[in-house]
Amino acid sequence: MHVVWLFLYPIVALVVGVLFLGLSRKVMARMHWRYGPPILQPVIDIIRLFSQRSASHGRLFDLGIVLSLAGSLIIVLFLPFGDVAPLSGSGGLLVILYMMLLGPLGIALSAGESANPNASIGISRKLMLAIGYELPLLLVLLAFMSRYNTISIVEVVRLQRATGWSIASFPLVVSGVAYLLILPAILAIRPFELVQAPQEISSGPMVEYGGSYLALAKVQHALSMFIGISLSVNLLFGGASHPLIFLLKMLVILMLGLFVNAAFPRLRIEQAIRYLWRWPSLIGLVGLVLAVVIGR
Amino acid sequence: MTVELLLGVALGGALLTYVLGKISPGLRNAFALLNALALVVMISLLYGQSFERALPLGFLGLELSVRMNMLSWFFAVTILGIGLLSVIYSLVYMRNKERLDYYYATLLFINASMLGTVVAGDLLSFFVFWEMMSWSTYLLISLRGGSKAIFAGIKYIVMSLIGSLTMLVAIVSLYVSFDTLSITELAGHVQSTTMGQALFVLVLFSVTFVIINALWPFHTWLPDAHAEAVSPFSAILSAVLVRKGLYGLYLLMYAMLGFSMLGKLAWGALSYSNVLAWIGAITIVFAAFRALMQNDSKRILAWSTVGQGGYMVLGVSVATNLGMAGGTFHILNHCIYIALLFFVAGAIEYRTGGIRDLDSLGGLIKRMPVAFVGGLVGICGLIGVPLTNGFVSKWLIYKSLVLEGRPFLAFAAFLGTWGTILYGYKFIHNIFLGQLPDRFRDVKGIPFTMAVPIVILTVLIFLFGVLPGIPLSVVDQVGTYLGFESLNVSIWGIPSETGTLNVVNLLAALAVAGFIVWLVLRAIGRSVSVDQDDTYAAGAAIPSGKYHYTVGFYSPLYRIVGPYVRDFVDAFFLKIAGWTGSVCGVTRKIYTGFVGNYVMYIILFLAALIFVQIAWSPW
Amino acid sequence: MVSPVLLIAVPLGLAFLVPLISLVSRRAAMLVPVVACLFNLVVAITLMPGVLDQPVVEKIGGFPPPFCINLYAGPVGVLFAALIALAGLGIAVYAMAYIRTGPVDRYHLLYLLLLVGATGVVLTGDVFNLFVFFEILCISSYALVAYMGNKSGLEASVKYLIQGAVGSGLLLMGIGLLYGQFGTLNMADIANRMGSVNQVSVFVPLALIISGLGVEAAIFPLNAWLPDAHSSAPSSISAILSGIAIEVGLYAMVRMIFTVFGATSILMFMVFLGALTLLLGELCAFAQSNVKRMLAYSSIGQIGLILFALAMATSYSVAGGLFQLLSHTLSKALLFLAAGYMIYRSGSMEISSLHGMGKRMPLTSLAFTIGAFSLVGLPPFVGFPSKFLIVRAALARQQSIFTILLGFVLLGTLIEGAYFFRVVQAIYFKKGSGETGRSYAPAVALVSMFIFAALIIFVGIYPQPVADAVGSAATELLDRAEYVRSVLQ
Repeated sequence: MHVVWLFLYPIVALVVGVLFLGLSRKVMARMHWRYGPPILQPVIDIIRLFSQRSASHGRLFDLGIVLSLAGSLIIVLFLPFGDVAPLSGSGGLLVILYMMLLGPLGIALSAGESANPNASIGISRKLMLAIGYELPLLLVLLAFMSRYNTISIVEVVRLQRATGWSIASFPLVVSGVAYLLILPAILAIRPFELVQAPQEISSGPMVEYGGSYLALAKVQHALSMFIGISLSVNLLFGGASHPLIFLLKMLVILMLGLFVNAAFPRLRIEQAIRYLWRWPSLIGLVGLVLAVVIGR
Repeated sequence: MTVELLLGVALGGALLTYVLGKISPGLRNAFALLNALALVVMISLLYGQSFERALPLGFLGLELSVRMNMLSWFFAVTILGIGLLSVIYSLVYMRNKERLDYYYATLLFINASMLGTVVAGDLLSFFVFWEMMSWSTYLLISLRGGSKAIFAGIKYIVMSLIGSLTMLVAIVSLYVSFDTLSITELAGHVQSTTMGQALFVLVLFSVTFVIINALWPFHTWLPDAHAEAVSPFSAILSAVLVRKGLYGLYLLMYAMLGFSMLGKLAWGALSYSNVLAWIGAITIVFAAFRALMQNDSKRILAWSTVGQGGYMVLGVSVATNLGMAGGTFHILNHCIYIALLFFVAGAIEYRTGGIRDLDSLGGLIKRMPVAFVGGLVGICGLIGVPLTNGFVSKWLIYKSLVLEGRPFLAFAAFLGTWGTILYGYKFIHNIFLGQLPDRFRDVKGIPFTMAVPIVILTVLIFLFGVLPGIPLSVVDQVGTYLGFESLNVSIWGIPSETGTLNVVNLLAALAVAGFIVWLVLRAIGRSVSVDQDDTYAAGAAIPSGKYHYTVGFYSPLYRIVGPYVRDFVDAFFLKIAGWTGSVCGVTRKIYTGFVGNYVMYIILFLAALIFVQIAWSPW
Repeated sequence: MVSPVLLIAVPLGLAFLVPLISLVSRRAAMLVPVVACLFNLVVAITLMPGVLDQPVVEKIGGFPPPFCINLYAGPVGVLFAALIALAGLGIAVYAMAYIRTGPVDRYHLLYLLLLVGATGVVLTGDVFNLFVFFEILCISSYALVAYMGNKSGLEASVKYLIQGAVGSGLLLMGIGLLYGQFGTLNMADIANRMGSVNQVSVFVPLALIISGLGVEAAIFPLNAWLPDAHSSAPSSISAILSGIAIEVGLYAMVRMIFTVFGATSILMFMVFLGALTLLLGELCAFAQSNVKRMLAYSSIGQIGLILFALAMATSYSVAGGLFQLLSHTLSKALLFLAAGYMIYRSGSMEISSLHGMGKRMPLTSLAFTIGAFSLVGLPPFVGFPSKFLIVRAALARQQSIFTILLGFVLLGTLIEGAYFFRVVQAIYFKKGSGETGRSYAPAVALVSMFIFAALIIFVGIYPQPVADAVGSAATELLDRAEYVRSVLQ
């Protein structure tokens, strides 16, 4: 069973991620009083893209996108999905935090190689946005690790089963709020949709991709959405004992995110950083202090 | 094999290199290489030995001694290893430059004195070698000439002199109290000393080690010195020389004072280890943001050296076996990747005619693929991307910080890493990726002997990243030598109840996933290779100059953090220096040049003496 | 057993032979100081083992002390005599090449007289005799400072003369008062009777003597002549003045305080004065752009350091002070000698004119560097053991005031380091503007520099013999009763 999940889980994650993309387009359209594309539209798009010819700018251009997608695929293995957590024995939250780097790094290397100014601007924004939300995110994660005194995410989930959801327990609720405040930035949805910013820098890092590259990039995007949401479910909402319940929780969070996405206009990068470093960081700091003080 | 012989070969080799250089440059190069190689072979033969021996020559009635143990061996091997690679690298890099006899001899001399500091068995010989290291380094920093290099040299030596003077006072104070300077004997004696003296000595020593380790607020010499030195020497500076400060801290904190003493030196939360740890944390964050603001390839690396020192200090000051292993392992890892990165930056400089400005480079991946791979792997190590060596040591440090209940320190460490990601990517992006400027169309790849060290270090980064058990077993022995509990190390990582690390599984997963994705890309996607500007310009004319986005890469971020991350300390020190200068200018006015005044001084002095005696009769 | 009288008599005799010899051959006249110094060095070294056990008291004229003039060749005296001979030898060798113009024979005559005066001061056991030798030393140095005959030399010489004369006058007054009070001029005898008189009444002679000798010893604020004199003199003379003359002045002062007056209560004041002299000297040196003035001010600083150590008056500190004195002599002589040819070749004393010297005059530059490093106290040069001893002495006092003063002293060392390192950089790493061809100093001068450099390194690595010698010298200086006993027995 373990080995089966090892291969099945990434595929599930991939499918879920892509469907989430489709779902979000549909939901967004409905909020805008449009009809919207079918939910399966991203799947159709990806299949179409794979059948198209594409342009490459050299070996690093290819390798970067491979690295990005592979990196995202294996983080999934570290995140508990219900009871399934195939690789969680090989590293905990710290590893996840670092592995989340591989996705953007791969894209950055690949797109950087294209010499397209739009791509480079997009990457530069992506990295700046990352340091923007990492600051509060680290405070939040450290509050969790201090509170539960472990760096293993499986432990975090297990302990929540005993003591209730973190978001509902006292000191961690503060950190939880901070986390929710930065979740849109982690998921790169509006108001933080400034990396791709299609109207401004022609999809940023994606601008040079066509055909199968674009397909892989889209898949990677879907996966990173899955990872972001799954991480929140595991940390804040107690994970789940069954994959289906887990999926349900993810769906709820996605919906919340979509409301934010629909309601806010896009920020400029400076505004985004200033926002992230102000309230979420402050709340995160308070949360961490509380977790340390009360935890001891 | 004895340590005396090792030291003799190192020092004698340095001098002989100079002499041979007067005969023939080829002979000199061959000898320098051979000497460095012989030292590496000798030190590897000394692995696992542990002894202490008195030297035949005393000094002012004090017995001098040398010793060998895991701690010494660990540091010695990094010194000699990087020394060898640096000599290999220099063969071509320094060719056709001036004063090569001087360069090689001084380089080897610096290595020899660093070796001396780590094998010294008593504090006096430690100090002597330390000073030799200081002044010989000063002699080499300014080698390139030019006002910046000269400024860097003077800045370094003045700070280093402050450090060595404080250390001298500390050493002599120990000597006066205990009448011995042997490290092992002192370790026994200091247990009985008073808190006041322990603190006095500890603070004085720490100033020295913090200066040489370039921790905030005494980091200011490093960025200038490392950026202005020639690249093979920058590698030595960054990789091993600054880490002598850590060796000193190890010696001071664990080999001499020991836990019980350190534990006693605490007033509530304010303990020595805590102060040190916070210095480390501030260093990490500050250096990361400073590095982010730099636009010079070597200055970025120099600032990153400052920051990485902070991680080691964090690990060391946590004082658990996990943190200690992390700190020690990070010393090794940092020495590998920073040497690699300086070699890469040097190679770029060498081929592009001395260009270090990140705004004017670009696209060199096509011309210098080896440098690119080296640079990328080095940066990944620096960031600590999983499967590189830096990841394992940083993971150990983070983990020990989290588990010891030091989340704020851990936060600083993480934040520093994110800063590293930003400037690391900028380093890669602005040098190697994107558009190749016209004037670098014909740049050639790295010469063979310069590529050799780069390749070796690249391989080591991966090797230690995937099989961290190999170096960790040595690191663990260093820890046990210093009195820490042995770490449960396996070849693939670190098992434990509070969070396991298994790097090999990670590698396997990434390899399989990567392979599948690659297969998909190959099998389904059909791609044609096109020029970089084809898609962007879509057939239209391209502006003749550079269109790639590299200048001011993170400018929005600069605008936000720029006003806060100025180097206030540096400005403050420079102000002190300037102020001293004006005090000197005023003081010399005492000597007016008018002889009448001078005679008056004499008479007044006499009058004052007699007056004071009559008035108060103090004498 | 050779007699210590030879140390004074032979050079004095040779000095007056110089004009005669120069009538025969000018080259031979140059060799006279070398021969004299070599002789003195050999004599001093042969005397050394003996006096370490038992000081030699040489009675002139056959009367027993206190009725005769006596020489006291204890460890201090012989050590100083050896040092004077050694430095004198090195500098005399250098001068063979360096002094080419002007009245060469008179240079050598005066040079020998200077050395005789210095040797006499350190060996004599008689206060008035000390004054006489002191005057020989001073007068020959006034003349030598003006040797070049240029305007700055003459001006400096006159300034030196005026201040030196004031100092000598004060010294003479002090000696006169002592004579009036005790009716004797013998040091041991005065020391013996010191306890029998009112302490206040001997304070005035003490103050006069400290001020008088302080001028020659270049203690702040009595040292204003030094920067002018040392920088305007020919470099070989600067070397002997900085390396020997002021040290001898300091010796005389310390001998007076320790042995004759036994004035332990004023020592703390001298410690402060030493630290102040050091700091001010180094601060002024830092502000100089003229390399010889810089070296001159650095000598003031070093004298301050030596005084600081000596005045702490423990066996460690006096040993450290004497060791520092020795290392300063060697290092500063080397620095002046090296600077001499660099200035000669570049034609200017500005530091900026030394740029690129590292390429033009590699060996001379190396000598300068060794001297500078040694003076700053870096191992493995001779400055390190002496600095180590002084730091040890200060910390061994176990009083916070000494630790704080030590802090200031080390601050002085730091400033010294800063300006010396600046010059070393200028020599090696700045591009010279003018000529770039190699131009070595003459072989003789290089030999002389080599001697100093070799000694600096050798003693730096193996300081034990010197440490032993200064150790027993320190014992002698501090043990007043033993001095009195051995002279008056």
